Amino acid sequence: MNPLSQAVASGLMSGAVYALLAAGLVLAFHTSRVVNLAHGEAYAVAGLVASALSGYGWPRYAALPAALLAAVLFLTSLEHFLLRPRRDWPVGSLILITLATAFLMRGLLQVVIGVDPLSFPRLFVGPPVRILGGIIPLQGIFLIVIGLGTAAGVLLLLRSPMGWRLRATAENPEMAALLGINTARMRLLAFGIAGALGGLGALLLVPLVSVDYQSGLGMTLRGFIAAAIGGMSPSWAIVSGVGLGLAEALVTTYMGALAQDPIVFLALIGVAVWQSRTIMFGGSVRA
Amino acid sequence: MKRLLGVLLVLAAIDGAHAADPFVIGIIAPTTGPLATVGSRQLAAVQWWEQDLNQKGGINNHPIQIIACNDEGSPDRAVTCARDLIAKGSMLLLNASVTGPIRAVMPLLAHGPVMVTPSPNVLPDAATYVFQTSASDRDITTAIADYLKQNHKDRLAMIASTDASGEVGTASAAAVFPQAGIKYDLARIDLRANDASIQLANVVKDDVPLVYSNYSGAGAATVVKSFNNLGLTQPLLISYANISDAFIAVIKNDMPGRLLGTGMRSVAPELLDDPAEVERLNYFSAAYKAWRHENVDQLALVGLTLADTAEAILTHVGDPKNPDAVRDFLESTPIKSVQTIRFSKSSHIGLHTADIAILEFKHGRWVKADPLK
Repeated sequence: MNPLSQAVASGLMSGAVYALLAAGLVLAFHTSRVVNLAHGEAYAVAGLVASALSGYGWPRYAALPAALLAAVLFLTSLEHFLLRPRRDWPVGSLILITLATAFLMRGLLQVVIGVDPLSFPRLFVGPPVRILGGIIPLQGIFLIVIGLGTAAGVLLLLRSPMGWRLRATAENPEMAALLGINTARMRLLAFGIAGALGGLGALLLVPLVSVDYQSGLGMTLRGFIAAAIGGMSPSWAIVSGVGLGLAEALVTTYMGALAQDPIVFLALIGVAVWQSRTIMFGGSVRA
Repeated sequence: MKRLLGVLLVLAAIDGAHAADPFVIGIIAPTTGPLATVGSRQLAAVQWWEQDLNQKGGINNHPIQIIACNDEGSPDRAVTCARDLIAKGSMLLLNASVTGPIRAVMPLLAHGPVMVTPSPNVLPDAATYVFQTSASDRDITTAIADYLKQNHKDRLAMIASTDASGEVGTASAAAVFPQAGIKYDLARIDLRANDASIQLANVVKDDVPLVYSNYSGAGAATVVKSFNNLGLTQPLLISYANISDAFIAVIKNDMPGRLLGTGMRSVAPELLDDPAEVERLNYFSAAYKAWRHENVDQLALVGLTLADTAEAILTHVGDPKNPDAVRDFLESTPIKSVQTIRFSKSSHIGLHTADIAILEFKHGRWVKADPLK
């Protein structure tokens, strides 16, 4: 096996999921101004529900949509029942609510589904494919194609009339409301899409790995790092997600697993410093 | 007057029939977090023992009272648990956690109580009050080296985690494999990683006859799934702590061509030849299954070794609260369980290389491994 090719193959698989998570996180952030720290729980909910239902013998065509629906319901419920009634609260308090919701969901998943990791059979079965000395399972190829395709679809959505309403809600909710846009519905829609993206990531990745009740936090962190590196821009967040997956894989290949976290977080600090420099010397502070 | 005397006699008889004070035993086990699979199954075996023994009237008329504390696999929490359990009057500590948390607790026990743990990664000094009921990780690694040599193989690929357990595994490999003339390539994996294909790609070459995953805990499923994702055909050997039904359930859709494991001989009952060990295993297997509706696996067995060690202490030591008396007893008396545990004045490790078997998962159960082809 060629280590570089293998790193690229693995990095693209992780990166496609990070891109989905980052796109959802940014979408919800832009319509609500809240960094949703429960975002990764949508991944855990979908993965665990799909695994549990498959374990109970549900057919795939029923278990997977049910899992996706659970992820969508989770994030839309968070927006509808917890965030919307408190829109006048400081953003910091709302972020704390999302953090508390994440821990609540972890506890709920632990009680209802248990502590053991679960998984479910692959959607795409076949011998692994060799590409330039790297090996990638068939499910992995579909994960990359569907994941990145869906993330690109989100970008197209943002250019549609629906997307304009979402962006208007994000940029100036009062003006958007005066123009007749139902901003509450737009926020709910954004959280619903975010839930669907997180859930889709789980349905594509979990058959290749496993999921447990505490998988959500790691996914929130990865999605947030990608979104932050991408400057909370939907298109750059998707690029950053793929870049983050590749960077993790390359660091692991050439520097070892122990170096992965320090380097990823060093990169995050570097980007944050670079972005603040832009603001200080060329942006709003100077102006 | 006669009536009053009668009432007093009845009351005295009732009082005499009451059980004596309970024997309080504390157990530290991660029942949530990434190591919950390891802790909850050992805890279940100890709780089975508690109810089984109490149904029979306890030990010398003392009921058993188990107090459990969840350390979540965290050293800080483990220290808090130990302090709390000692404060609640635990005369013995059982520790079903993993390397880091167990090591964090050990300095608290300079003056007792005795702590018993089954973690192969813990090598207690014989001067301490800590006893370990499994074989050491080095002995387990030696069993792997012996298996390779019996099969005339001298290569191995190894995956170890980046936590304290992985450090021990790495050190054991460095000490054992080169001495046995076995060349090995090692890659480390982070506990939260969701893909191990890079690590496997770095160490598994075509001429490697066996891949060993030393990674303990449920996350090790990542290694098995990545092994399958890469379409590797070598036998895969998984670690001591992963010989459980729960682990098999996670990887059942991604089974390697041959799944091997390191385990106690009692995991494959046909490898036992002591009738007392067989009898204990059969009794435990039947009663545990009836109680928990779950088959006995290796984690349940190592949990039982903790319980049987505690039972031997409480039955035979006059003052089980006296750590010196308990230590003297354990150092001089073999403990009968599903395998006989033998401590000595120079070693607080209860099992040895000969007590370990290389197992293979075939037809839904673990049996003695076939030769490497």
